[in-house]
Amino acid sequence: MILDKENLTGVHPSDLMIHHGPTKLLLDKYHWHSPKIGIVASYSPKSRDVEDHFGLFRGVDQIESCAQAIAGSCNGFLECKKEGLEPLELGEKFFPRFISIGQVIFHNYLEEGDTFINIGYIKFCKFRQIVSDGRIYKVAKGIDLDEYFRHFTEKQLMEYDLSTDFTLVAELFDVTGRGIKKERLNQK
Amino acid sequence: MERQEIINGLVEILRTVRTVNQEKLNSVTEETDFISDLKTPSTEMINIVAKIEQKFDLEFDDDDIDDLGSKIKDTVNLIIKTQEKG
Repeated sequence: MILDKENLTGVHPSDLMIHHGPTKLLLDKYHWHSPKIGIVASYSPKSRDVEDHFGLFRGVDQIESCAQAIAGSCNGFLECKKEGLEPLELGEKFFPRFISIGQVIFHNYLEEGDTFINIGYIKFCKFRQIVSDGRIYKVAKGIDLDEYFRHFTEKQLMEYDLSTDFTLVAELFDVTGRGIKKERLNQK
Repeated sequence: MERQEIINGLVEILRTVRTVNQEKLNSVTEETDFISDLKTPSTEMINIVAKIEQKFDLEFDDDDIDDLGSKIKDTVNLIIKTQEKG
């Protein structure tokens, strides 16, 4: 039940991102979330994610994962709260649409079995549209992400204040998504 | 507030939006289309609507924005409707 939650920590991404099937949902877990500020969510590329791509997780999938975390999940949670609807009910009315993205800079790569975090914050959120900036960091082996982010703060998030256990993989700017009415799919 | 006064206010906002065709702003009418005439990127429309809220001290409903047409007159009508709702 999303409506009972103060944030997304403890919620499985598939319980919120109901339009994304298991092979297209590129989030494993939410570790930190402040509804009007931002989020930290992790994913480990599976064999299917690197198939036919020389064992590497594609850049476009990095973008998708980050958008699912910051734009999709943050917006979805806020809309559930605003409309007073659980994700399944919200999903009957609205569909998440990836609107646009600004600059993306890739610094590193990710392989099957690596774990990375999407970390980002909301710059604008109105009329079911959300604009956000985010980064992707590869996580050193053995890090307990729930424990690491247990006392994480909004200030740390905004400054991407992370330990050296996190290696920068990508920077993404102006990731923009919008919840659109289902009947408007394929229009404007 | 008169319709022309609202249009003037909209033009003032649009002059601050880099992606809008600034030359076309000299001849804006109720029939001018944000997208086809002013070349406003559709992704910019939400930002413009947020600026309209600020300028006219209004709060639009999400559903009204979903249904908003792309002509200047559509926005003028929405502003008047929202003002009347108080």
